[in-house]
Amino acid sequence: MGSTSPAPASVQPAPSASQSSPRQEGQTDAVTIAARSGRPTRLHRAVFQPIGDEGRAALVERRIADAIIGGVLPSGERLPAETELARSFGVAPATAREALLGLRERGLIVTRRGRNGGSFVSDDADPAAFARRTLAETSRVALRDLAVHYLAITVASIELAARRADPSEIAGIRTRLERVRDDDLAAWRRVTDDTQIELAALSQSARLTREQMRLQGELSPFFALIDTDPDARHDNRERLLSVLAAVADGDEQRAVALTREKVHRCVEWLIELRESAAPPAAPARSASARTAAEAAPPAAPLNPAAPSAHHAPADTAVDESAERTPS
Amino acid sequence: MTTISPATASAAATESSPVALVTAYFGRAIDSLASWTDLLADDPRRARAAAPVTTDVLDELVEPYARRTFDSVDLPVYGAGFIAALDSLADARSHLAWWQGADRAKLVLASQSVNKELIDYSELEWYRVPQSTGHPHVAGPYVDYLCSDEYTITVAAPVDLDGEFAGVAGLDVLIDQVERDLLPRLRAFGDDISIVNGVGRVLLSTSARRETGDSIRGAALEAFDRGACPGMALEVLTAR
Repeated sequence: MGSTSPAPASVQPAPSASQSSPRQEGQTDAVTIAARSGRPTRLHRAVFQPIGDEGRAALVERRIADAIIGGVLPSGERLPAETELARSFGVAPATAREALLGLRERGLIVTRRGRNGGSFVSDDADPAAFARRTLAETSRVALRDLAVHYLAITVASIELAARRADPSEIAGIRTRLERVRDDDLAAWRRVTDDTQIELAALSQSARLTREQMRLQGELSPFFALIDTDPDARHDNRERLLSVLAAVADGDEQRAVALTREKVHRCVEWLIELRESAAPPAAPARSASARTAAEAAPPAAPLNPAAPSAHHAPADTAVDESAERTPS
Repeated sequence: MTTISPATASAAATESSPVALVTAYFGRAIDSLASWTDLLADDPRRARAAAPVTTDVLDELVEPYARRTFDSVDLPVYGAGFIAALDSLADARSHLAWWQGADRAKLVLASQSVNKELIDYSELEWYRVPQSTGHPHVAGPYVDYLCSDEYTITVAAPVDLDGEFAGVAGLDVLIDQVERDLLPRLRAFGDDISIVNGVGRVLLSTSARRETGDSIRGAALEAFDRGACPGMALEVLTAR
């Protein structure tokens, strides 16, 4: 760098009150660079804001909450110890503690003392109930947009996988998939999610794989709802197997077309379920229906409805609560 | 280790052929893992004699070896550690005692975005091949969605305990780093030289037209002279 003198204050556009106070060295540099390059300093200053631990606890809390709500961390699962959590998230132990406290207050985890103590995912955490509630609360446009994003990533990774995968690699995925009976819903969902991620990894693109993992995690609870309908589940299974076959054949176009169809079917199913389960602005049908729909999940979780509840999309919240079965 | 020992990497810059260069490069990783897997086996043996080995005990045993690997091998090591054989520990079905990244942080799977702890690694290349052959293996390139989340090569060596497979010791290098490291040296030998793995996947190529991740298979191979790297499933393809 040729010059060491900072740019005069008058060069900086729209000086704010905070600029009149003495600044630290680092900030001066950031502002100087911004002024030199002629770009607005406000954006630059945002870049160099201290991150601090404020807000990080909320971030950690949300990451874990999402995993619990999505069923990734099932009921009874033990969370890593506070110090281990802090290390893996790269935050201070106090931050991890704060996040755990938040989760405890929301009823998502419970903490037991003693030799086999620790933090555990609450027994009340029922992913199916969370998913049904989330589906009801998600607007149709948001759901469609999520599907568009999911499809864009999945199609891109499937296309590359079809070009690049060795048939032996697909054979391995197929074997793992076929080993799991699809009437074990939790195992089936897990192996299906894994299959999608393994397919994405065969694209040889780390970015696509990471994005697929993120989206798969976001959509997995919805897919799990679809799984409760045996017909939809069997249909999905056949479609997934034909996608695998197309990828093994190196047929990019067929793999992409089948993937599109498969995702479209899932979205149609979800929208149908959403429309039928939660008609907008419906008059209150009964006190119990209102309670079921409005109750906060940790306080009064909805039990997972029997698979048959999703057979007929005409089921309502009333029917669901009437069909409660002890879990 | 009983494998064909790849050229010990004393000659860093003056390899006589691209095959020798690649063999020496990844051979360093194999040599390093071989040197600590024998030592490592002693500690669990002693620990196992005292009490069933748990994940915590294993982590403690492995950590010094893993940490040493970052500094002692002349490679851009991204991650290192030990992956326990399935059902070999007292308190978990599977476990990765693994450290990675710039800060060499301990891998904690439960906090990741999908439940990676439930991923069955027994069929993943870096575990399956050393287990079934009893020899070290250079696995990849592949997108490592379990550990690094990056495009990765894993070098893994089997660890036996009283004649029983106990797991694999391994280290990761990122393709990004390997490209920076190896490509300039490979260029000295020609402008269309590619390293491919056992399924013909391009690890890197001195030709900008050949994309890392693509494959060179079947009839396409006829356009190349092929040189196998001893002791590892890698080949160097030189355009004729």
